[in-house]
Amino acid sequence: MKPGLWRQHVRAGLAAFEVTLRINAPDSFVLFTIVVQPLIIAIMAMWMLVERGAANALYVVVGSGMTGLWSTLLFLGGNSINWERWTGTLELMVGQPTPVAVIVFGKNAAVVFQSLLSMVASYTVAAILFRQPLSVEQPLLFAVSLLLTMVAFVSFGLVIAPLFLLSPAVQHFQNAIEFPIYMLGGFLFPIALLPGWTTPFSYLLAPFWAARALHGASTGGASLEELAFDWGMMLLLGAIYLLISGRLIERMLRKARSEATLRLE
Amino acid sequence: MRKLVLNLRLFIDGALLSYIALFRWLQPHTYLASKVVMPLAQILFFTLMGIFASGPGNAAFYAIGNAIHLASINGIYGVTMSIGGDRWSGALPYIFGTPANRLVLFSGRAFFHVLDGMLGVIMGLAWGVLLFGLDLSQADLGALALTILITTFSTSGLGLLLGCVSLVSIETMFVNNTFYFLLLAFSGANIPLTEMPGWMQSVAWALPLTRGIAASRQLIAGSTLAEVAPLLAGEFLLGGLYILLGYSLFRWFEFQAKRRGTLEAF
Repeated sequence: MKPGLWRQHVRAGLAAFEVTLRINAPDSFVLFTIVVQPLIIAIMAMWMLVERGAANALYVVVGSGMTGLWSTLLFLGGNSINWERWTGTLELMVGQPTPVAVIVFGKNAAVVFQSLLSMVASYTVAAILFRQPLSVEQPLLFAVSLLLTMVAFVSFGLVIAPLFLLSPAVQHFQNAIEFPIYMLGGFLFPIALLPGWTTPFSYLLAPFWAARALHGASTGGASLEELAFDWGMMLLLGAIYLLISGRLIERMLRKARSEATLRLE
Repeated sequence: MRKLVLNLRLFIDGALLSYIALFRWLQPHTYLASKVVMPLAQILFFTLMGIFASGPGNAAFYAIGNAIHLASINGIYGVTMSIGGDRWSGALPYIFGTPANRLVLFSGRAFFHVLDGMLGVIMGLAWGVLLFGLDLSQADLGALALTILITTFSTSGLGLLLGCVSLVSIETMFVNNTFYFLLLAFSGANIPLTEMPGWMQSVAWALPLTRGIAASRQLIAGSTLAEVAPLLAGEFLLGGLYILLGYSLFRWFEFQAKRRGTLEAF
């Protein structure tokens, strides 16, 4: 790719990032998904897990924050292409020279960036309401894990968005796949509680490796080797997701152009 | 007599059409996603978290609490969207323009959701039996069915009240989602009421579901209908109170909307 073209794509991605942040800021659904829901889950988890000594407060903060991260990605990132269709701007997005994937990447990055507020909300609940001591054991490793988590989540969002557009039947199950990822990702309890046959599904999900890394780095329960493995898995799965999403977006555009159904639901 | 027949027809037709319109859909996969898969996932998540917290011996506590909580899928989302849907689809001016009995019209919006909500709770309990070995052998099943009916009724009462909010606000989903999750935290579905601080308990007892969940747990543990009757009476009265409040708001909003010409304003 020519350097000029590369710069053009970065600029377009950043513009999509900024516009998405601005559009989402006053949206009450975004507020609910990013703040209210993780906050209520954090309150319940603090009572259910911390008060009974099953987990420490930091585990709950990270786990509840991740529920917010996933729900936001599922509902906002998942609809990032559909949203353009609903507002009548999909044709413009498809018609301009920047690849659709770049725009969707920028939009999903904004969504994931905003959803980090979930962790802040959970942290606030644990620190103020439950007066729990909260200190991240390995701050630097936690920061790296958080950064890679964002990359992995954005890549995962790139698979979901065209999939929802290609298959309305899958999108009907959007609400129904919120809690399963909480479970398969091991956000608030270990996946060992689930039947053994579900474990391979967890391994295929970047959110699982993200939760492992964040829990491990925050509580100090993981060694550097273990964290490096989790990071590697996030990067590997992120790359696979990008490849899959490229194919899906290509297929989506071909289908929409050949069938002239870009605007139609 | 003719008036009674007309009102009955209005109630049944209105209830049925509103339900069909909401599930415009009435497509199997939509129903499957929202009424089977999502509830199953929710029960699994909270019950497994409960097991992680306090061991498999307490699975029944969480399975029952979350199964009964499913009444709020219909009670809150279904009923609210049935009422709010009239506004979104532009039917509100026609409805308010008719001489139809408002109470019949209003309460009809909840009728099928009470029945469908009961089915949802029964499915939730069935998941509890299948997945967590929930033991219903001690339960008086008739009394349990009555408890489910009353709990679904009271939750729909809250839905009717929230539905009125959707007549004047565009933040319906925010309100619905928040109440749905607050009920999860406050109703005793996942946190025992005795472990809550005083102010939370006060809020809990003012909400539907709380007494219904407590009564269901007692019945499944072997209590008789007479023993849980006070809880059921409280749940029923609370539901009635919410309907009354909702109906009063509905009439007030109708009056205000007509006076100000804001029937379709967003």
